[in-house]
Amino acid sequence: MNLILKKDHLNHLLNAWRQEYEVYAPQSLQNFTHFLPLQDGFELAFDKAHNTRIPPKALFLPTSEALLKFTRFGGYEEVPSETAPRLIFGIRPCDAHAMTMLDTVFEQERYTDPLWKARREATVVVGLGCHEPCQTGFCTTVGSGPFNHAGLDAILTDLGEIFLVETLTEKGEHLFTQLETASEDQSMHASEVQQAAAASMPIAFETEGLKQKLDQNFASPYWEEVSRSCLGCGVCTFLCPTCFCFDIVDEAQRGERVRNWDTCMFRTYSLEASGHNPRPSRVERTRQRLSHKYSYWLDQINQIGCTGCGRCVRYCPVGLDIRAMLRKAHQLPSEVLHA
Amino acid sequence: MPNEGRSPYLPIPMHVLHAYYESTDNSLKTLELSFDDPQDAREFFAAFNPGQFCLLSVIGKGESALGVASAAWEGDFVRFTAQKLGSVTTALHALKPGDPVGMRGPLGNGFPLAEWKGKNLVIIGGGCAFSTLYALTKHLHHPSHRGDYGKLTVIYGTRTSGLCMYKQDIAAWHQRDDMEVHQAIDVPEQNWLHHVGYVPDVVKEVRPSPVNSVAVVCGPPIMTKFTLPALVELGFAPETIFTSLEKRMKCGVGKCGRCNLGPKYICKDGPVFSLAELNALPADL
Ligand SMILES: Cc1cc2nc3c(=O)[nH]c(=O)nc-3n(C[C@H](O)[C@H](O)[C@H](O)COP(=O)(O)OP(=O)(O)OC[C@H]3O[C@@H](n4cnc5c(N)ncnc54)[C@H](O)[C@@H]3O)c2cc1C
Ligand code: SF4
Ligand code: SF4
Ligand code: FES
Repeated sequence: MNLILKKDHLNHLLNAWRQEYEVYAPQSLQNFTHFLPLQDGFELAFDKAHNTRIPPKALFLPTSEALLKFTRFGGYEEVPSETAPRLIFGIRPCDAHAMTMLDTVFEQERYTDPLWKARREATVVVGLGCHEPCQTGFCTTVGSGPFNHAGLDAILTDLGEIFLVETLTEKGEHLFTQLETASEDQSMHASEVQQAAAASMPIAFETEGLKQKLDQNFASPYWEEVSRSCLGCGVCTFLCPTCFCFDIVDEAQRGERVRNWDTCMFRTYSLEASGHNPRPSRVERTRQRLSHKYSYWLDQINQIGCTGCGRCVRYCPVGLDIRAMLRKAHQLPSEVLHA
Repeated sequence: MPNEGRSPYLPIPMHVLHAYYESTDNSLKTLELSFDDPQDAREFFAAFNPGQFCLLSVIGKGESALGVASAAWEGDFVRFTAQKLGSVTTALHALKPGDPVGMRGPLGNGFPLAEWKGKNLVIIGGGCAFSTLYALTKHLHHPSHRGDYGKLTVIYGTRTSGLCMYKQDIAAWHQRDDMEVHQAIDVPEQNWLHHVGYVPDVVKEVRPSPVNSVAVVCGPPIMTKFTLPALVELGFAPETIFTSLEKRMKCGVGKCGRCNLGPKYICKDGPVFSLAELNALPADL
C-alpha cells in the first residue's frame, strides 16, 4: 500500500515508535554517520552520507559479543539471545539486501545462529531509497538497485516535502496505520523518481561471465597485479555489509568466550597450528575476497555476494577499487584451467 | 548434529575418563571422554558417523577440532588423539581423569559408508591423521558391519615406530584373517619387521587393486599430495578416492567463514571429499 508521510511529521512518528521499539536511525558521531538509538532531542543525519560507515549488519552481528559466560569450576552457560523489539529507520536498500544474504548463512536449516535469528525476528526495517544515488555505489550493476525491496518491511521515496511510503510486509503496515493514502499522481511521481535514480547509475562493469573468468584464472598473475598496493588492513571487509567472518576467542579474565569480527585479509585468519598457511600473502587473500563475492556466493545462493554499496571503494586507504579490479578481470583469458 | 533451537556454540559437558600418551615422545595424547548427561550420549551416538570430528573446549583456553577416534559400539565414550602444538592442544595434554571438557559435535559429514557397501576398502593413513581411519576400521570390525564390505586393506605409515598410534590394536590386526595390514616407518629401525619408506611408495609397492574398491587417504598434506596420484596411477577413479581435509577452524558449523575451500566449508560440507569433488574445487589448501 502507498501512503504519504509529511517530512515535518517524521519526528513525531519516530517518537511514537519509540514507545514500542528501540528505534535506530542514522545520526552523526565523530564525523561519520552511524545507526544509533534515538534519544530525546535527536537529530537525524540523512543528508551527509548515503549509507553509514559501519553497515547495519553490526546491529545483528556486533563487532564483539559473548557466546558463553564461564561459571565456576570449568563450567559455562549460554548467553541468552536478546529479543527487545527494535526498529531500524533509514537503512539503504544495498544494506537491507545484504542482510537477506547473511540470513542464508546464519539461519541455515541445519545450524541456526540463535543470536542472529532472535535479533532479526525482533527487528522491523524501514528503508530509505536513494533518489540521488551515491558516486561510489554500483547497486544496479550487481542486480540490486537504489529502490530494491529485499530485506525491507517498508521503503520511503523522497519526494521533496513528503515521503511516499510503500509498505512491503505486515510488520511494515503495522507501523504506518495513521497515514493517509497516496494519490495516483503521487505514486506515479515516486515511480518516476525511482526509475530516474536507477537510470542515472552507470553500469560499472560487466557481470556476465565474470565468475567463469575468476574461476578459470585462479592461478593467474592477475591476482598479484591487483593486490600489489593492498596494505592488508581489512577495512574493505570489516565495512562490507555482506562480509560475516568472525573469530572465537576465550577471554579468560572477562570469563567469556567471545566472537569478534575477523577478516580473510589478515595473515592469521587461515594460519594453522603447524605453521602451514593456505593463504600466505595478500595475493591469495585478495583472491579469496573477490572470489568469495563474485564466484562462491553464486555457487551457494546464485546471487553475487556484493550489493554494490561502495564502502570498500570509499574507505580503502590506498584507493583500491573493486570496480576497476573486476573490469580488469574481464580482460583475462577464458578456459585457462587452474593449476 | 542439527541444533534445533540449541546454540551451535554451546559445548556438551563431558569429563575425562582416561588420558594416556599414544607415542613414545609424548607428542600425542589420547583422551577418552564420557558424557555428564546420558541424554547427550544418546543424541551424540544417534548422529555419529566415522570420519566426523568435534570441537573440544578447555574453558579459558579455547577450542580445537579433533577427529573422533572411536567407534560407537566401543561404549558410551568418545576418543580423541591430540598432537601437542599450540595453546589448546597443550591444555588438552594437561587434562587428568575427572577434569571437565566441553565438546561440540559430531560435526561434518564423515565417510560415505552407505555408498561404500559391497566394496573393498583400502585405508591409507599417515601420522596422527590416522585417528579417524582407526575409528573407521574399528567400526568395520563390528560383526554387524564387517559383512557389508569386501576386502579390507590398511596401510599406515609414521615417521618412527614410536609415533605409531593404537599399537596394541594394530598388533592384533596383523593376526586377523579378514584384513591385510601394512605398516611403514620412514627410516630403518632395528627389529622392525614391516615396510620402510614413505606412504606413497608403500602404496605403489602394495599395489591395492582398484577393482570394485574405494580408497580413503588421511595424512599430512605432503603425504596426501603424493598418495592421490599414486592411486590414480593404479587405476582408481577420482570418484573412488576419498580424503579428509583440514583447515583452521573456529565455529565448526559453516558460520565463521574460516575453513572455506571455494564455495564449500570443510567443517560443514566436509571434512571428507572425493578426489572428483576436489578436482572441481580451487587449489586453496
Ligand atoms: C577436521 C579436523 C580434524 C582434526 N583432527 C585432529 C586430530 O585428530 N588430532 C590432532 O592432533 N589434530 C587434529 N586437527 C588439527 C587441530 O585442530 C589443530 O592442531 C589444533 O586446533 C591446534 O590448536 P592449538 O590451540 O593447539 O594451536 P594454536 O596455534 O594455538 O591455534 C589457535 C586456534 O586456531 C585454530 N586452529 C589452528 N590450527 C588449526 C588446524 N590445523 N585445524 C583446525 N583449527 C586450527 C584452533 O581453533 C586453535 O585453537 C584437526 C583439524 C581439523 C580441521
Ligand atoms: S564488496 Fe564493496 S561494494 Fe560490494 S557490498 Fe562489500 S563493501 Fe559494498
Ligand atoms: S581496504 Fe584496501 S588496503 Fe585495506 S585490505 Fe582492503 S583492499 Fe587492502
Ligand atoms: S569453521 Fe567456521 S565456517 Fe568452518
